[in-house]
Amino acid sequence: MARPGPRRLGRTAALVVLLLAVIVLAVGLGSVTIAPGEVLGALWRGLSRAELAGNDVIVWQIRLPRVVMGVVVGACLAVCGGAFQGVFRNPLADPYLLGVASGAGLGATVGIVAGWPRGSIPLAALAAALVAVSVTLGLAREGRRFPPTRLILAGVVVGSVLSAFSTFLILRGEDRAREVLAYTLGDLGFSGWRDVGTVLPYAAVGCGVLIALGRALDTLQLGDLTARSLGVPVERLRLLVVIAASIATAAAVAYVGIIGFVGLIVPHVVRLAWGANHRVLLPVSALLGGALLVLADLLARTTLLSQVGVVTTLLGGPFFLWLLRRERHE
Amino acid sequence: MHKLLTLTTLTLTAGAAGATTYPLTLTDDLGRQVTLRSEPKRIVSVLPSDTETLCALGVCDRLVGVDEFSDFPAQVTRLPKVGGLYNPNVEAMVALRPDLVIVSKYGKLAGPLTQAGIPVLAVNPETYDDVFSKTLLLGKVVNREAQAKTLVLNMKRDIARVEILTKNAVRKPTTYFEIDPTPYSIGPNSFMGVLLTKAGARNIIPASLGDFPKVDPEFVVKANPELMLGLDLGTARSRPGWNSIQAVKTGRVLPIPKDLNTILGRPGPRLPQALRGLARLIHPELFR
Repeated sequence: MARPGPRRLGRTAALVVLLLAVIVLAVGLGSVTIAPGEVLGALWRGLSRAELAGNDVIVWQIRLPRVVMGVVVGACLAVCGGAFQGVFRNPLADPYLLGVASGAGLGATVGIVAGWPRGSIPLAALAAALVAVSVTLGLAREGRRFPPTRLILAGVVVGSVLSAFSTFLILRGEDRAREVLAYTLGDLGFSGWRDVGTVLPYAAVGCGVLIALGRALDTLQLGDLTARSLGVPVERLRLLVVIAASIATAAAVAYVGIIGFVGLIVPHVVRLAWGANHRVLLPVSALLGGALLVLADLLARTTLLSQVGVVTTLLGGPFFLWLLRRERHE
Repeated sequence: MHKLLTLTTLTLTAGAAGATTYPLTLTDDLGRQVTLRSEPKRIVSVLPSDTETLCALGVCDRLVGVDEFSDFPAQVTRLPKVGGLYNPNVEAMVALRPDLVIVSKYGKLAGPLTQAGIPVLAVNPETYDDVFSKTLLLGKVVNREAQAKTLVLNMKRDIARVEILTKNAVRKPTTYFEIDPTPYSIGPNSFMGVLLTKAGARNIIPASLGDFPKVDPEFVVKANPELMLGLDLGTARSRPGWNSIQAVKTGRVLPIPKDLNTILGRPGPRLPQALRGLARLIHPELFR
C-alpha cells in the first residue's frame, strides 16, 4: 500500500501553487496587459453580475473562460493519456490512440468544408469521434474480449483511414484549408463560458471514472492473468477505461481541436517525479496537464507561435527528450 | 549569321516603340533566370490573377489551358483545366504543348515542367504595388508593353476616382476585416489592407502584426472597431465578449458578398472594381 511520502506531498503542493500561479498569470497577460488588481476587480464584478466594460469584458468573458477551458482540456488529455498508458501497458499510448482525434478531425473537416454554422462544428466533431472509437472497438472485438494489441492496431488503422479522408476533403475545399488546419493544430481561442459548460460534464465524468479506477489500473500492471486471479474483471475494466477516456477526450477535442503531446508526456513526467501508482498519477497528471496547457496557450497568444498545439509539441517534445536522457544518466 | 539576324531584328523592332525583343531574359518570382526564345503564343496560366491580367492585355486567345480556379473572363472557363495549386496536372499541361506556363511560386510545378523542356515563369502579384509591376512584366512577356502601360494607367485612374470619393468621407470607421474565422485578419501593408484604407476605413490591425496575422480575439475587443467586415452579425454575437464591441452593438457587421470576395482575393486587373465594392460597403452614402 503506497502512501504518499512527505516529499511527494510537497511536490503536489508545489504543483497546486504552480497551477494557480499560471492561471493568475494567464488571466493578466495577453495582447492587453491587465494589472492583478484590475483582474481581481473584473472577477468580482463578473461574479456580482455587474455591468462589464472595457478590460472587464476581456478578463471575464474572454480570458477567464479560455484559461478555464485550458485547465479542463489539459487535465482531460493528461488523465486520459495516463489511463491509456496504464490500461494498454504501453508507454506510447496517448488519448488519441483509438482514433478519437482523427474521427473528430474528420467530423470538423466535413462541417467546415461544407460551410456548416460554426456552432455545429463541435457537435459534428464529437459525434464523429465517438463513431470512430465505436468502429475501433467493433473491429478489435474478439467475442467478448478486447485484446490490447488488437485495440491499438485497429485504432491506428481507423485513425489513418479517417485522416486520409480528411486530407482528401481539405484538398477538395482549398478555400477552407486554413480553417481546418487551425482546428487540427488545436486552438483555445473563442472558448466561452458556454463551451466550458458543455465540455465540463463530459470531462468530469470521464476523468472521475478513470481516477476512481486507479487502484484497478495498478493491479492490471501485474499482467492480465494476475489481475484476473486477484478478482479484477480485466475485460470490463479495459472497456470501461476506453469508453470513459474516449468520451472525455472526444468532448475536449470537439471544442478546442487536436492538441498534441500533453496526453503523452504529462503522465510520464508525473511518473518520474511521483511514481507509477495510478491513484496518485492520474489526479497529479490532471493538475500538471492543466497548468501546462494554460501556459502553452499563454505562449501561443503572446508569441508568434500562435497555435497552442504548435507550442505543446514544440516545447513538450524536446523537454520530454531531455527528461528521458537525464533519467538514463542518473 | 545568327548575330546578323539578331541585329536586323533589333533594328526592325527599334522602330516599333515598346515592342519586346526576344530572346528575353527575366528573373521570375522564384528567383530563376528565365529566357523566352520567342513571343509566347500558347500559354498555360495556373494563377487566376495572372489569367485575368493576360486577358486584360488582350492575349486571352493565346491561353490554351488554365487552373481550375481561373473563371474570369467567361471565355477562359471553356479552356482545358490543368488542376489547382495542390493537385496540378503536369501531364495535361505538357499535352497542351505550351510555349510558356505561368505558375505560382508556391507549389512545385517549375521543376517538372522545366525538365519537360517547357519555359516556366513564376509570377505572383502579392502586394498592392506588385499588381502594377506584374502587369507590366506580363505585358513585356507577351509583347504587349503598350497595352500594359495603358491598363496600369486606367487602373490607377479608376482607383483615384474611388479615393477622391472616400477622402471626402465625413467619418472613417475603425474597421476589423476578417479573412477567415480562426480568426485571421489583414495588416495595412497587405494588398487587401491597402485597399481597405483606400476604401475609407481605418484598419485596427497595426503593421507590426504582419500582413495576414492570426488575431487574438481580445485584441479585437480592446480595439473596439466601429465596423466589422468579413463575418456576419450572428457569428460576431456568438463569440465570447464580442457583444461589447461597438460594431456588434450598432449592427455594423457585414459579410463580404461572394462576388466581391472573389475579386478581393485576386490581385489583378479587377483591383479597382474590388476597391469600389469595398468602398460601397464601408461608405454606402457616397455612392447614392
